[in-house]
Amino acid sequence: MYTLEAQDISKSYGGVRALDRAAIAVRPGSVHALLGENGAGKSTLVKIMTGAIRPDSGVLRLDGADVRFASTADAFRQGVGVVSQELSLFPHLSVLANMFPMREPRRGPFVDRREMLRLAVPILDELGLEVDPMVPVSRLPLAERQLVEIGKALVTKPRVLLLDEPTSALESGATDRLLHILRVLRSQDVAVVFVSHILEEVMSVCDEITVLRDGVVVTAGEDVGAHTVESVVSAMIGDRPRVVVRPSGRALAEQAVATTTSGLRVDGVTLHRTVQDVSFAVEPGEIVGLAGLAGSGPAELLRALAGIESPVRGTISLPGGIKAPHGQRAHIAAGVAYVSGDRRRLGLMLDKPVWENVVQVRTMAMGKDGAFLRVPGLVTRAGEHMSRLNIRASSPEATAGSLSGGNQQKVVLAKWLDNTPSTIVLDDPTRGVDIGAKAEIHGLLGDLAAAGAVVVLRSTDLEELVAVCERVIVLYRGRICAELRGDGLSTSALLQLMNTGELAPEGSQAPAS
Amino acid sequence: MSTKIDERRPEAAPRRAGVGTVVRKVFGADWSSAAIALVGLIVVVGLLRPEFLSFTQLSNVAQQSVYVALMASGLAFLITQGEVDLSVGGTYVLSAVATAILIQNGLDPWLAAICGLLLAVAVGALNSVVVLGIRINSLIATLAMGWVLRGLSAAISGGRQIIGMPIDHPFFTILGGGEILNVAVSVWILVLVVAVLTVVLRATPFGFRVREIGSNEDAAQFAGIPVRRTKATAFLMSGFIAGIAGLLGLAFFTSGDPTSGNGFELFAVAGAVIGGNPLTGGRATVFGAAIGAVLLNAVSIALVYFNIPAVWSQFATGLIIISAVSVDGIRRHRRSPQDA
Repeated sequence: MYTLEAQDISKSYGGVRALDRAAIAVRPGSVHALLGENGAGKSTLVKIMTGAIRPDSGVLRLDGADVRFASTADAFRQGVGVVSQELSLFPHLSVLANMFPMREPRRGPFVDRREMLRLAVPILDELGLEVDPMVPVSRLPLAERQLVEIGKALVTKPRVLLLDEPTSALESGATDRLLHILRVLRSQDVAVVFVSHILEEVMSVCDEITVLRDGVVVTAGEDVGAHTVESVVSAMIGDRPRVVVRPSGRALAEQAVATTTSGLRVDGVTLHRTVQDVSFAVEPGEIVGLAGLAGSGPAELLRALAGIESPVRGTISLPGGIKAPHGQRAHIAAGVAYVSGDRRRLGLMLDKPVWENVVQVRTMAMGKDGAFLRVPGLVTRAGEHMSRLNIRASSPEATAGSLSGGNQQKVVLAKWLDNTPSTIVLDDPTRGVDIGAKAEIHGLLGDLAAAGAVVVLRSTDLEELVAVCERVIVLYRGRICAELRGDGLSTSALLQLMNTGELAPEGSQAPAS
Repeated sequence: MSTKIDERRPEAAPRRAGVGTVVRKVFGADWSSAAIALVGLIVVVGLLRPEFLSFTQLSNVAQQSVYVALMASGLAFLITQGEVDLSVGGTYVLSAVATAILIQNGLDPWLAAICGLLLAVAVGALNSVVVLGIRINSLIATLAMGWVLRGLSAAISGGRQIIGMPIDHPFFTILGGGEILNVAVSVWILVLVVAVLTVVLRATPFGFRVREIGSNEDAAQFAGIPVRRTKATAFLMSGFIAGIAGLLGLAFFTSGDPTSGNGFELFAVAGAVIGGNPLTGGRATVFGAAIGAVLLNAVSIALVYFNIPAVWSQFATGLIIISAVSVDGIRRHRRSPQDA
């Protein structure tokens, strides 16, 4: 009666147990939510169910029969599809071509376009994607690309479909669209596994929930009606205290930032196509969050603060009353640090030793250590940063790529702190970082602010914003719609404001507002 | 995590700092295969044809390699950034021919040489405008620039060698025929250039920037490294060094020949790659680039000793380039699973 069952699944990485006899069972035509904090083992379980990795022990059953997936392609052939957060489309190819990657229907040696259309059009219609199938995917907005991705999975008539955090890309009207898609999937008797961190959404679209905590199942396939957001949260978190102890000392952070008297001022800033007439200020010592759906402006605003993008109108002045200079490099010279969560692409040189990554901004880019470099001194300095930020690596000579995600992200922070910034702008700085390193990074941000830095944080992790920021500015369609602080600052309020631009009065919070 | 690294990569643990390690640290890591191949080649050829080992012959190899080795040394700075300069051969020819014309018209050879160098730097500037300003891929842009320069050389010289140089002038007697400790001055200039560039590469922010851009250009940009300025500087350097090579060629051959320097750019690129400057970027060694270029020249000279007909020498050189690069590629592949 279950389409896909996973039983007694255990998986360890090195000495760390990611999953300990975990299990999940998904019925046909039902939507099963898989929940848990970052690092609880969700993504490991998803990867095992889709054949990306193999469990150390345990069994997978498809329609009651034991199966083994050699690879994701193998799982796919056997009827298990996945739509992941990161899209895997070919932007230059048409919607149609993208729906049949490497498996186009053929007529002789040629691609049978008529057959492709016959298979694809009903699926696109059903998903409500009203585009010409011959249009290249790059011309579609992000939300429609996500639909193509789902359509691509549906073409093969999967028995099981895993949706891994699909809503972050679905954007506005996400929940409505999602409900619609899930209706389509239910009507086709597909068993759906739904992974999301937006709990309100989960509660409104799913039938059953399984919660993981530290690799162990704490709620096993229970009916969603028996749960509330609060009960799910407490299942996810357990009895662990919510506030994390800050591990690093304040005195250490004080040498890492340049203190100023006045703060960051953003005055009537309008950016090309996104942000409209936005004004706010951040004083030294404050951590201010920026929230908003993708496309509504927070990421673009951060880029403007870092000097990557220039405002069309309005002015930005940096702490100390300096008028923002032109260009990213000049901003760095003026004391701005831009810490990106995309460490592989924008943060690190993975093939280079840790020390060279750490000294990159101050020594190499800004040339603050003169024209002739003494490498041993630089290595020593990097080593000091490493012990300060508790970066675990065998030595400063270890390549950055050999470190874990959390330690890599701390290297990115170290390289910016090495340049003693006065303004620290962070874009999703704990993406894919384990829970321990995350807590350390949060603690460090607090210390940096306490030492007098201006800290601006954007995060897709709303709980992070609530936990770290004193106040959060919410952008909706490019404009500031609210500023939350104190008791008013909660994930549910953020979620509502991000999606609708307004806060419904207390008590009338409909699930699909 | 950290314990795992220790197990897998013993070199991460403290180790004996042998002479080889120190030398390798100073000059950069990846030149060893080219150096070993060069020594091996000399030994093998020397065993079979002892006359090859004469000091005259070996210094001859060095002297003939100077031009390409110089160009390869400059190219190291571009290749590691994912760019290439295929106009170095053309720059070599143009600076030699233009300087020769100026000398022929009565200009002092030293002044003419300075003009030739400025011209070569101007070529570098033009390359950076085309590649970085107009954003044309450097492979195609500099390939075309090479033709432009050779064509220009042929045009201003009327397609003939520029002769009638004042060969008694110090420019020709020192740079062309001079020797210090029985070694040609041009070889000493190569040694000097390699030494200076190695210091630039290993001990200045510019040298680090060059390799960091090659490692991850986006991250370099985000860290505030002036990517375009760094690349432009490398193009200027490449032009300047090719100009030096052109002047040394002029001083040695005492004529500006618009048809000389054929295939120099390919030898220079191949030499740099064989010497340990992978086209994938991120790593660089000036010393290796020069050694790689010398190796290629040594091969083509050694072929003469084995009575391989001249018509086959290009064929053999091509084969050797392919096999040398393949050996390097295979070594890298074997190492990469650990790096991943």
